[in-house]
This record gives sequence, structure tokens and C-alpha cells, in this order.
Amino acid sequence: MAQPRISAYLPPDIDPTKAPLAFGRRALPKLNEELQSPELLTQQQALMALCDLVHDPEKVYQAIALGFLDNLKTLLVHHDQTVRQKTTEVLSIVALHSIGRQGLIQSEVISALTGLLDDPVDICRKNTHRIFDMMAKLPEGAGGVLWAGLIPPLVLKLKTELDEIQELILDTLSNCLRVDVSEALAAGVVTVLKEKLSHPSTAIRSKAAWVLLEISSHAEGKIAVCKEGVIPVLVSLLEDTQPEVQVNTTGALMFAAVAPQGRSSAMGAEAIPPLLKLVAEETSKARLNAIKTLTLLAELPEGRQTLLDHKDTFQRYLDDPSEAVQRAAQIAITVIEWKP
Amino acid sequence: MEPTMVPIRAPELDVPYSFCSQPRSLLSRPKYREQSKAAETEKGPRRYGNIMIDPRVVRGNALSLRLLPESTQPSTPEVKKQRKAQKKLQSRKVTQEQIRPGTPEPVEGREHVHVQTELYLEEISDRIIEVDGECQTDEFLDRPPTPLFIPAKTGKDVATQIEEGELFDFDIEVKPILEVLIGKTVEQALLEVMEEEELAQLWSHQRAFAELRNAEFAELQRLEEQDRRIREEKERRRLEHLEKLRKQKETAEKVAARAFAQRYLADLIPSVFNNLHDRGFFYDPIERDIETEFLPWLMSEVEETLQKKVLGRMVLDSLIRMVVEKRLDEFSHPPPSDQTEAPAEEPGATDAAPQVSSEADAADQPVAEREQTDQPVAEE
Repeated sequence: MAQPRISAYLPPDIDPTKAPLAFGRRALPKLNEELQSPELLTQQQALMALCDLVHDPEKVYQAIALGFLDNLKTLLVHHDQTVRQKTTEVLSIVALHSIGRQGLIQSEVISALTGLLDDPVDICRKNTHRIFDMMAKLPEGAGGVLWAGLIPPLVLKLKTELDEIQELILDTLSNCLRVDVSEALAAGVVTVLKEKLSHPSTAIRSKAAWVLLEISSHAEGKIAVCKEGVIPVLVSLLEDTQPEVQVNTTGALMFAAVAPQGRSSAMGAEAIPPLLKLVAEETSKARLNAIKTLTLLAELPEGRQTLLDHKDTFQRYLDDPSEAVQRAAQIAITVIEWKP
Repeated sequence: MEPTMVPIRAPELDVPYSFCSQPRSLLSRPKYREQSKAAETEKGPRRYGNIMIDPRVVRGNALSLRLLPESTQPSTPEVKKQRKAQKKLQSRKVTQEQIRPGTPEPVEGREHVHVQTELYLEEISDRIIEVDGECQTDEFLDRPPTPLFIPAKTGKDVATQIEEGELFDFDIEVKPILEVLIGKTVEQALLEVMEEEELAQLWSHQRAFAELRNAEFAELQRLEEQDRRIREEKERRRLEHLEKLRKQKETAEKVAARAFAQRYLADLIPSVFNNLHDRGFFYDPIERDIETEFLPWLMSEVEETLQKKVLGRMVLDSLIRMVVEKRLDEFSHPPPSDQTEAPAEEPGATDAAPQVSSEADAADQPVAEREQTDQPVAEE
């Protein structure tokens, strides 16, 4: 008689597309052997079963210890698209675990994935970019991506890829460019990003602004940003209604305004009124960045003059719940009231 | 004890002996065991016989009395005799054994009887009753089918009528299955949602941190920039100041040099002029002219005139001297010769004298002229 109690065991595997799993510890070694079999169907079934298994961190650990990653690397260049798709999916789930990421770095899967950037199947490419994205969140992973010379191809792909994949690429770039920006600048990333700033999708705009933020946190980046004339575009983007976009744009402006040319071009583009508007909103996420940017602009004499009239907006933030905002407001007031 | 060897020896002694192996003396047992063990290990391999074919191993019923087996050697008459003697001895021994029992002799009037005291009496005899038995199974037959078991009917007969839908109610039956299905699905979904939520939380946390970090970083860069500018400004001003000082110093030096030079040179012109004046660079040309040309000429003329005068006087002196000498000679020398000589000398002298006088006249004339000119000049 069936009972309403849920059993602690997983339901029996009746999916015909998956390879049957051996019991206990033997499951993964058997899958390893099946992956290397010459028959296509066996390989596909093994991959399907593997996909489900790698959600468990213990299985990931065991898989890496068994040397699954080398087999998966050879399968990446398989002629059958299902195999490739499933392999990339497995690798992307493996990259979600910390031990998996380290294993991926050690077996140098990143360089093997460069060939898949031009794959005809969308899912493969998307999974590949997902893997890059996850890897780039680690410092060693970002270093690995840079080392594999992936930045110029990624920048090129930004122009041509689908929207979802573009978001992933932008995320990857933002993490990698935090480390080193010269390669990307050589590939002309600022021009590409300038176009993306006017993209209809919110996510892409905010992420493009985030990448610009990371670029302009480096000195060469600042110069490139000022030269390309991105600042007026950013200033116009300040009027955007989405909070995500606002936050990132103000951040990018903040870093760009540190350089003297950036500051003067920001003043020239009349950045102060929209920034003040952003600061005036009490709950905006962008207020910290906006206060910082105004502080930077206040170092110029014209900026100081304009901002002397608006000092009370800053004084309101002196008792803001967030400590960082308080400090920023204090610094802003100090800079505005400074006399030579 | 040494293990016994199993050689089949030819009987050496005539004495019938019941044991298979002849007696022999044992080696004296050593005092200490280690030595005995060492002695034992030095022995060669022991020879074992197969007990299955060993004639000494008894087969058959353990309780039956048996005689010794005959030896395998072909029986010589001596051997036969020995065997018979052995048998006799054995039977005697048996009887002797029977006569000499372990138990004491029976008391008078009593008799010892052998009695079995076990639970089950056993008939003891030399010959054991053996019975041959055999059995044989029947030919294989198929097992007949079990008969149908129809128990006797007991109890009451009761009948029920089952309506449609009573036995199986879909709604009730499907409940547990549905619960499992939905429960599992919802559980899985919850897990996934929780995972995603956790991830989203982590990302938002990271974003917040990244924001703070960026803000701090921007602040740092701003301060760096400020610092750089201030330093540059300071540097520039310092350089300017140095430049100014340098220029000032240079100017002061220049002024001092100028003053000194002026003072030095102030004296220069008068002294120069004085020097030149002293050296005679500035002159009145006429005066100079007179001095340089006229006066030397005059002086030379005067000198000449004087020289002439002197010359004249010298000439005159010499004339006079000559004359005087001559006269002296004339006066000293005898006179006759004087006349001839004197006229010779006189003409000579007069030749000389007019010459001299003409010279003297000639000299006198210019001298007189010179005197004349001299006098006016001297008067001047």
C-alpha cells in the first residue's frame, strides 16, 4: 500500500537517455571508462549521467581526483554537438564549486576552451562563457583567462554575439580588467563599450558601465576613456531610470574624474546637475558614488563655486545609516570648503 | 628417546622375540638438554614408512584379539620354528596374564566373575556376529501430483455485493502518489530556489563590497591625485623661488662688479692722460717741429762750426808746433846747412806754409764767416 511519506532515497533512475550508474564508489570510475568508449551513444549517456552527478560537491571532488577533467578536455573537440554541449554543461557546473575551479585551473581547461568560442551551437558558446565568467571571479582564474590571451577575442565577440552571451562576456571582462587593462585597451574595448552604453537592454548597459568603471580604475584606462570621449555619454546615461545603470555609471565617472582631463571633460559635459539629483534621492544606491564624484569635481574651482550653494545636501548625509556614505559626505564638505 | 627405525632385520638371535625390532641399547642420555637437541638436529632425515602398508598397523575391529602378522620374508624352517615358538610363548603369556590378574584372589567361598557394568550389555566373543545387509532404491518414478486439498467446509456462508467504485476509489488511491510526486518536485524546486537565493545573496554581498571598495579606491586615487598636484605645485614654486634667488644674486653681483669697475676706471682716464702727457704724446706740433728738426740741425751746425774752429785751432797749433820745432831744429843744428836747408825747408815750409796758410785762410775764412754767423747767433 503506497504511503504519503517521502522516502529518503532518490527516485529510481528510469531515464533512458542516461547511463545506469554503478553502485556507490564505483559510479564515477565506470562513467570515466564509458566516456572513453568509442561508441557515441555510450559517451552521450555517460555525459548525461555525469551532468546530474556533478551538482554534488563530493562527487566533484572525486571526479577531479579520478582525472575526469582530462577526458572532458578531449571531448570538447568532439564532432557531435550533443557531446560538446553536455561537456560544456558539465564543466560549467564543475566551475560552480570551488574545488572544481581549482581543478580547472590546474588542468588548463581554459586554453582548451578558446577553440569553442566560435562554435556554431549557441548553448556550447553560452556554457563556455559561463565557465569563463565563473573562473574570472577567482583571482587565479582571472589571471588564467588573461594568460590564455582571451581578452582580444572576447572584445571582438562583444560586437557580434547574442545578448545573453554578451552579458556573460561583460561580466568576465569586468573581473579580468580589474587585474590588467593593457591588452583590452589595445583591442579597442573602450569604443565597443561606448556603443554598448546605448543598448536597449538594462543589464547590458549596467554591465558595460561596470566594465568602464574597472577600466578607468587603472591609469592607462583613464587616459583612454578621456581620449575616446566616453564621459559625455556617461553623463547622459546618468539620467537613466534604472538604479543598476545609475550606480555603475556614477562609479565609472568617479574613477574617470580622478584624472585631470577626465575632471575637466566632466565639467564640460555638465555632470553636476544630474549628480546632484542622484545625491538628493535618499535611498538611491548610487548616492555613495555620486557623492564621491562630486567631491572630485569640487576640486576644480568652478566646481567648488557651484557646489558651495548645495552644501546642505551633503550635510544631510552626515548622519546616514551607512558609514561609508557618512565619511564620503564629510570629505565632500571638507573639499568644498577648502580655501587655497 | 630415539625414534625407532623400521628395518626388517634378519633374526640374529635364536631367542624368540615377540617384538619386531631387536632390542638395542640406548645411547646414554646426556645431562643437558641443549646438547641433546643439538645431537638430535645432527641426525639425518628420518625415514618414514607408509602406514597403509605397514604390517604392524592393525586393521579391522579394534576389540578383537589378534595375533602378530607374519613377516614378509620367505619362511625358512628356522623362521617357522621361531614363529611357532613365538606363538607358544604368546599363548603362555596370555594364560599367564589371565592367571596373574590385577585383582586379588577371591576370598574363600566366593568366585570372581566378570561382569559388565555398562548400561547396555554386550556380548563379547571372539567372532563377531556379522550380518550382511543391502538395500537398493526402486526405479525412479515420477512424483505423483499432490492431491487437491479441499478442506472441509466450516462456518457460515455469507455473500456481499460490491458496487461500482467501492473497491477502487481513484481519488483516494491517487493521493499518496500525487503527494510523492508533488512533494518531490516541490522539494527539488525549493532546493534549487534556495541555492539560487543563496547565490543571489552572495552576489549582492559581493556587489556591496565591490561598491565600497570602489568608493574607497576612488577616494584613494583622488587623494593621490591631489597629493601629486600639490607636490608638483610645490616643486614648481620651489624651482621658481630658486630661480628668483639666483637671479637676485646675479644682479647683485653685476651691480657690485659695475660699481667696482666704475670706481676703478674713474681713475683710469686722468692717469692715462697724465701718462700720455708725461710721455709726450700730446704736443704742440710747431714746438715739436722746432724741437725735433730745427734745434738738432742747429746744434749740429753749431757743433760743426765749433769742430771747425777746433780743427782750425788744432791745425794752428800743429802749425805753430811745427814751426817751433823747425826753428828749434834750425837753431840747434849748424847754421850753414841751415841756409840751404832753410831755404829748401823754407820753400818747403813755405810751400807747406802757404798751403797751410791757404788752408788756414781757407779755414779762417769760413771760420770767420762762421764766427760772424756765430756771433749773430750767439747774440741771439
